[in-house]
Amino acid sequence: MSALIVFAFYAAVFIAEQKLPPTSMLFTVLKKGAVYALVAVSMNLLNGFTGIFSLGQAGFMLVGAYTYAILTIPVAARASVYQYFNGGMIQFTVPFVVALLLAGCAAAVFAWLIGLPVLRLKSDYLAIATLGFAEITRAIFQWNQLGPLTNGSNMLRLFPIFNDFNIKDASGTVAVYLSTMMPMLIAGLCIALLVLLINSTYGRALRAIKDNEIAAEAMGINLASHKQLAFCVSSFFTGIAGAMLAMYQTSVQAKSFTSAMTYEILLIVVIGGVGSVTGSCLSSFLFVACSEWWLRFLDEKQFINGFEVPLLRNGFRLVVFSIIIMIVVLFFRRGIMGTKELPDLFKRRRAKEATPHD
Amino acid sequence: MTDPKNVLHLDHLTMQFGGVVAVNDLTMDINEGEIVALIGPNGAGKTTAFNAVTGIYAPTNGEISFHGTPIVRNHPCGKMRKLYAGTNADLYKDRVLRPTPDQITRLGIARTFQNIRLFSGMTVFENVLTARHLRRTSNFITAGLHLNGKEEALMRERSLALLDTVGLADVRDEMAVSLPYGRQRLLEIIRALATDPTLLLLDEPAAGMNPQETMELGQFIRQIKKDFNLTVFIIEHHMDLVMNISDRIYVIEFGRQIAEGTPAQVQNDPAVIAAYLGGDAE
Repeated sequence: MSALIVFAFYAAVFIAEQKLPPTSMLFTVLKKGAVYALVAVSMNLLNGFTGIFSLGQAGFMLVGAYTYAILTIPVAARASVYQYFNGGMIQFTVPFVVALLLAGCAAAVFAWLIGLPVLRLKSDYLAIATLGFAEITRAIFQWNQLGPLTNGSNMLRLFPIFNDFNIKDASGTVAVYLSTMMPMLIAGLCIALLVLLINSTYGRALRAIKDNEIAAEAMGINLASHKQLAFCVSSFFTGIAGAMLAMYQTSVQAKSFTSAMTYEILLIVVIGGVGSVTGSCLSSFLFVACSEWWLRFLDEKQFINGFEVPLLRNGFRLVVFSIIIMIVVLFFRRGIMGTKELPDLFKRRRAKEATPHD
Repeated sequence: MTDPKNVLHLDHLTMQFGGVVAVNDLTMDINEGEIVALIGPNGAGKTTAFNAVTGIYAPTNGEISFHGTPIVRNHPCGKMRKLYAGTNADLYKDRVLRPTPDQITRLGIARTFQNIRLFSGMTVFENVLTARHLRRTSNFITAGLHLNGKEEALMRERSLALLDTVGLADVRDEMAVSLPYGRQRLLEIIRALATDPTLLLLDEPAAGMNPQETMELGQFIRQIKKDFNLTVFIIEHHMDLVMNISDRIYVIEFGRQIAEGTPAQVQNDPAVIAAYLGGDAE
């Protein structure tokens, strides 16, 4: 049943992409939503399943985005991108898939190094330490001395983006639109891998650590190595999401990876339900849709029969958005999904159907 | 140790927190197939001794051997060198051994806790299943991609069989914390057994149980000892249970051993009577 829903969703996206104009806001939301869903699920692996409260997401996304961008800018375009650094020091490109995997690996290596000292800390202290790491990374990537590699504080651009997934025929017009489908597929595949890990014996060990560290250790679960594993796996997928964000934005600049971005992800995780993959996915699409699309009209002056609606002006959207978030947090204390997953919804319904006959 | 039947040997174990000596120069032996009890008044240092054996604390001084191999060894160092109030400080200057609790569990020492520590977010079945994790042969990639189907099936089969032995199989999908107290205790013991131990440490397993449940627990401990070839080391306050099931008893007071022997010997020991009833022990 769940598989059917997911498949139907993907089919709907594919059909919509062929029929609707490619400039529709729907596709912006789906693309950005897919990226955020992947970050949110990997953050949930840490916060919701392992009980590690990390706020380093923006930092790992930054590492992923830069790794991807640096490795995929075409050699011919490097001179114009690295115009202040004589074309930069790297003069080769790797295929798209390799760059995506390397983006994940780079983030995972960073996570491993940071995890060594930081994972000894607990709760708030860990959050502060990882937040600090993200800020330091952002500063280092803008450092002028690293310019030949990172282009300093200038933009990286001209690397392959989502629109390059569209299949064009000989005349140059698009035959099959895939610019939304591909990011959704990549994110879906990564999330599927995360779900498999969560449902494996390692996933159970991580949940045991969250529930009771002392008991988990007494049951033979090595805390240090399992926390490190969760941290690295989570960062790996965050790095991939960072690379996808670079593709979505078409350019990368370190200064845009602020801690505000981490808080957005945290908000998505909390609204969706800490400990629910389905919740994280749902809420990231809802969050992106609200912030990018459905509430946009609040930022412009609106007239109904010549009467100007009061309050509507630039910035009002954020006020309404904050109120909606507060309402959600007040009435859904454990998030939209709590700790339930998609299959659980049908399980309960089936159980309800079964009881009257008994 | 030379005795091949020896399972656990504590050698001059001292545990000092700041200026407080919680366990003082405790030496004890547990042999294969025995049920040995550690009793004493509240605050005597029983649980501290347990925690030292299971690696939660590193002892200040002394050595612990398991099946003849030293697994824990420490001597006072750093700040403790000046503060140390125990004896035999120079005996254990060899390599310091400080394993973490999970390494000790892997060797085959499993424990339960005085205050129940089940995995609260998991079902009864998952609680036991999680304890099989340490005997895995898969790594996170093969397990994460679910390529270890055979191993996973074995883990599930084994866990279910364990739950069946205590009649918890029919509630296996309930949340562990929703069980009644007595059954949570049983589940904790079953979870410990799922790690394949040869030595089982029970920290006040009958705490909070009524006399009927306590009696059943005594039979249950005997039963699992036989079925799983266990050696059992138990801390308990219910004296009828202790006297009923133990082969030998160690009594400690203020961290110091005051008596050792069979239940009958201990019951008539004047020092033990004094410790429990108050008054002078000659």
